[in-house]
Amino acid sequence: MSRINWHRNWAWIALLGFAGLAAAIAHGQFVSKSPRNDSPIKTEAVQYLFPAQVSVPAGKPSPVILHFRVAQGLHINSHTPSDQFLIPTDFSISEGVGVRLGAATYPPGTIISLAFDPNTKLSVYTGEFAIQARIEATPGNHLVQAKLHYQACDQNQCMPPKTIDVPIDVIGK
Amino acid sequence: MRRNSIVLIVVVFILAIFAWAGWANWEYRKQAAEKQQAAAPQGVLVPAPGTGAPEYVSPLNGRPAPAFALENLSGSKISLASYKGKAVMINFWATWCGPCQVETPWIVELRDKYAAQGFEVLGVDTEGDDLQPGDKAGWAKAETSANKYVREMKVQYPVLLDGDSISNEYGGLDDLPTSFFVDRNGKVVAASVGLTSESDIEGNIKKALAE
Repeated sequence: MSRINWHRNWAWIALLGFAGLAAAIAHGQFVSKSPRNDSPIKTEAVQYLFPAQVSVPAGKPSPVILHFRVAQGLHINSHTPSDQFLIPTDFSISEGVGVRLGAATYPPGTIISLAFDPNTKLSVYTGEFAIQARIEATPGNHLVQAKLHYQACDQNQCMPPKTIDVPIDVIGK
Repeated sequence: MRRNSIVLIVVVFILAIFAWAGWANWEYRKQAAEKQQAAAPQGVLVPAPGTGAPEYVSPLNGRPAPAFALENLSGSKISLASYKGKAVMINFWATWCGPCQVETPWIVELRDKYAAQGFEVLGVDTEGDDLQPGDKAGWAKAETSANKYVREMKVQYPVLLDGDSISNEYGGLDDLPTSFFVDRNGKVVAASVGLTSESDIEGNIKKALAE
């Protein structure tokens, strides 16, 4: 086989590979027919920041610090809100994924009053906050979709309670 | 040479098919998103005459209030239609909503003040936005909270449950509190989102009472 032919064949293989890749991407788009649930306009009130991956000794409860950010201008109730009706921020991991949540330690809330009701003190998280979760993993890689449940407000109005996914790749060693 | 041409044609054909598929999918999503937005009319904030402060203008203003029939705390169905001839404030609230806790005593007071003129409030609890329909324990807890809230706030007007089931018709109810003021003919004459002031609420009640 001459050198030119060899190059030409590889060019065809590369072109076919590219076509296959384009096909896979287009197919992936085409099968997800349902419109996305997330609004294109509204952003999440709370965003999970990091870590995306943690390594823990297998079978031993280990502390992992998870960082979140509350969007500017909003606050969410702390884990121990000041009023019986308010919804606490709560972190959880579903059972049966090879990873178990032993306990979660939440930061104390910042005490604030809002302009519309200066006499009421609220215990809230604003800006960045971190939750320390003690997690126990079986040996191996586990992609965990942990959850954070919260309810956010600004100065005058409140948004419905929400649960967001907290994706963490937990490696039990 | 001939084989190469055939392969080229096939590749171009495959690429064209998938380019079309991608475009069709994008169009589908765009249309679905537009349909969803159209189903839930969104209000806009415009400067209020005089003060220039942002004022909520609902697309429902000037239109008949969307009909509904929801269960009250005693389990009886209450429909908006049964209040025809009265001015009605439809107040969407939830127990976890701090600003709702602030305005509820004002609403209780204003309802008493204007009841004799043919004014009524329908408090619509939108407690369970993130509850699944099958979550019986969650719904029972939400109802218990609503009952407790109503007792503590000394609410005398009808309080209806499962406001989330009519949220689309009322603009999505992304934020609470949200109120709609309906005149005696069943037409929305004003709306508000978020905590305003007692005088603003009273002003809107007067609009609803005016013929």
